[in-house]
Amino acid sequence: MRMLMEFAKGDTIRHLGLLDLQRTMQRALRRSGLPVAYSNGYNPHILMSFASALSSGIPGDAELVDVALGEERTEEECLQAMRRALPPVMQPGRVRLVDDRFPKLGKLLTHAGYRYAVTGPDSEALLESLASFLAKEEIMAVRKSKSAETLVNIRPMIRKLEGAKAENGVTLDAAVSFTEAATLKPDLLFATLLREAGLQETGCRIRRTGLYTERDGHLIPLIEA
Amino acid sequence: MISEQIESLLDSVQKPARYMGGELNCILKDWDSVKVHYAFAFPDVYEVGMSHLGSRILYDIVNRREDALCERVFMPWTDMADLMREKKVPLFSLETRTPIRRFDMLGFTLQYEMSYTNILEMLDLAGIPLHTAERTWEDPVVIAGGPCAFNPEPLHCFVDAFSIGDGEVNILQTVDVVRQAKEEGVSREECLLRLSQLPGVYVPSLYETDYNDDGTIAAFRPLREDVPAVIRKNMIPDLESAAYPTAPIVPYMEIVHDRINIEVLRGCTRGCRFCQAGMIYRPVRERSRERVMELIRAQLKSTGYEEVTLSSLSTGDYSCLKELTREMMEEFSKEKVGISLPSLRLDSDLEEVLEETQKVRKTGLTYAMEAGTQRLRDVINKGITEEDLLTSVSGAFMKGWSSVKLYFMFGLPTETTEDLDGMAEVSRKVAECYFKTPKQLRAKGLRIHCSASCFVPKPFTPFQWEPQDTLQQFDEKQRYLRGIMKIKGVEFNWHTPEVSFLEACFARGDRRLAAVLEEAWRGGCRFDGWTDCFRFDSWMEAFEKCGVDPAFYANRRREKGEILPWSFIDAGVTEAFLWSEKERAEAAKTTADCRKGCRGCGLKRFEGACVGR
Repeated sequence: MRMLMEFAKGDTIRHLGLLDLQRTMQRALRRSGLPVAYSNGYNPHILMSFASALSSGIPGDAELVDVALGEERTEEECLQAMRRALPPVMQPGRVRLVDDRFPKLGKLLTHAGYRYAVTGPDSEALLESLASFLAKEEIMAVRKSKSAETLVNIRPMIRKLEGAKAENGVTLDAAVSFTEAATLKPDLLFATLLREAGLQETGCRIRRTGLYTERDGHLIPLIEA
Repeated sequence: MISEQIESLLDSVQKPARYMGGELNCILKDWDSVKVHYAFAFPDVYEVGMSHLGSRILYDIVNRREDALCERVFMPWTDMADLMREKKVPLFSLETRTPIRRFDMLGFTLQYEMSYTNILEMLDLAGIPLHTAERTWEDPVVIAGGPCAFNPEPLHCFVDAFSIGDGEVNILQTVDVVRQAKEEGVSREECLLRLSQLPGVYVPSLYETDYNDDGTIAAFRPLREDVPAVIRKNMIPDLESAAYPTAPIVPYMEIVHDRINIEVLRGCTRGCRFCQAGMIYRPVRERSRERVMELIRAQLKSTGYEEVTLSSLSTGDYSCLKELTREMMEEFSKEKVGISLPSLRLDSDLEEVLEETQKVRKTGLTYAMEAGTQRLRDVINKGITEEDLLTSVSGAFMKGWSSVKLYFMFGLPTETTEDLDGMAEVSRKVAECYFKTPKQLRAKGLRIHCSASCFVPKPFTPFQWEPQDTLQQFDEKQRYLRGIMKIKGVEFNWHTPEVSFLEACFARGDRRLAAVLEEAWRGGCRFDGWTDCFRFDSWMEAFEKCGVDPAFYANRRREKGEILPWSFIDAGVTEAFLWSEKERAEAAKTTADCRKGCRGCGLKRFEGACVGR
């Protein structure tokens, strides 16, 4: 059976990269006493994968890990064990047990949610520009990958973009496409937003609020897929 | 406030996890709930410092006290150090991000001479005056220990007190003294005087040195009658009752030795004549198998690590290694725990042990041959033969290993071209062993990593009187080695001789080197142990500016009876023993392991040492 578990990547550990986070999760799993399964070979490792890598520098509220278990356990047992084993900044959210035949999380993932905490004098101007930004049919931006830079229309990848005034500026909530064919990186979205509004650099903290799958036209949390 | 400033710096430096803190099992105490605040400093980056066992032991020991807290600080990498200066962020502790200057005590561990400039850099980043004489009670008491404290003189004006020998008991005594001095409200000078009364503690400001015209030391003496003239090293009588962490910190970022590390024995009786650790950590003390198992269980549970190192200077000499590895495998193999054994000696009967440890995870095999011929190995008393090596590697190749590391030194006393040729010869024979192994048994991809480092004579070794090869000699030998080491399957690595030259200066340096060190640091030197940061020209300028000749320290032969800068320290082994070993070396006579009979090294003078041997 497999355990799907939501967990936080807290603010103070936002700088951790994927490998650091994987190591930390593996050690927590070993401390948990759960019957995790191992790979074969000279250097056995825990069979575990994250639904999506989260860049260094960005915290996450509900990241998702998929862990193979060698024996049956209940969701409650898993949750309690992981609560004890994970540090406070990585506490688990929901746990769901699925069958080994359940699809890989990466295959189900279609969207990611981000929250931008924008500060600085231009933040309100940015808020006001949202409507005209979203009214465009085509918004071209340069997407960089390891090998190439391509000019793409990012508008279809923006599922949702809403803003509200906050204490020290503005909060934006976005849901963007996150599939192999079309992934919109959160920093690219923000940079494009600034460019289109004709604004300069402004203070912005990004966090990932959730991972989603699309079902019947609605986004539902990936763990409920 | 400082915490917010630090957060903003973290967004613009490499590897911010170095400065994050908050790792699993780090200890957070309420600042006001304790009397003594101890900052434990490792003068290198986080991933190096966190791999050091001694620091972890001492961190744990101080934090066990109810009246004290211990927090960690490491040398920030150059990008962070520069940013901190620019933004006026003082050096801070990882646990509570408290400025280091606010601590009552600041303890540096001296693992390597080439980290000395980092000590000055850290003091400066902390806003602590570099010199003992300029410090007040506004500054912490600066203490230093570790192997390099066995010759403390090059740091005499920067460190308030040195703790020499095993630190476990002494660190608590120094905490007691500082606590009491602060409670009584005595002067800082009085506090240092009290520290000088503790066993194994050297307070350099209470001593003076006179020099002869030829630059050698004429006299070294305490300035007061009540200060000891000889400092005898601290030694804990047994490891069994010594404190050891059960819940070590688990870093988020990958560190150099990223695994559980259990010290199974301390000290070594093999008597290799180049090895300082083998002399200064005597006598041999073992931790019982039961205690080791108990510690492994506790640490596995508290950390989630998947690999355990059984560490010591010579783990093959641990008397119950076979039983221990078997027991470990029985108990932990279902949890896929791997065992790694550093510092194995080939002459110990380890086949069975190796077989046990490779059941779960295969780890690398390292052989420290040190010299290329039997003659030279006899000179340095490295009691292993080529046959030992070849038997061992053949066995390993049969069992599926294909990667082997070979360590050599060059520039050893009495070395000739024949000894250099011997290194190539040995490497070639190891490669032959691999190709002789039946194809169906051996693993693919032979990799022999052969590294040759420049010999550095160290204090408290039989070679402490020996000159080091000059840079020119090192260069010639290295060029020669690179030529003959072009062997199929062998990758030859070498070290920068300039670093070893400076290491030799500081290892056997005296008080006059303090000015050179400060000058070099002012000239921008730091992280001298890191190839990218090492600036030899700046160092040479510093020597010149101070009118100090580095060759006097590195390349000069010392005469019998010369007062050495470290002569006032009683490290256990006597000067008479070291000299007799030097003479035996010159005659290529080996000295057997003292467990087969006492060789009179001097440790017997310590009550309780060498019991039952």
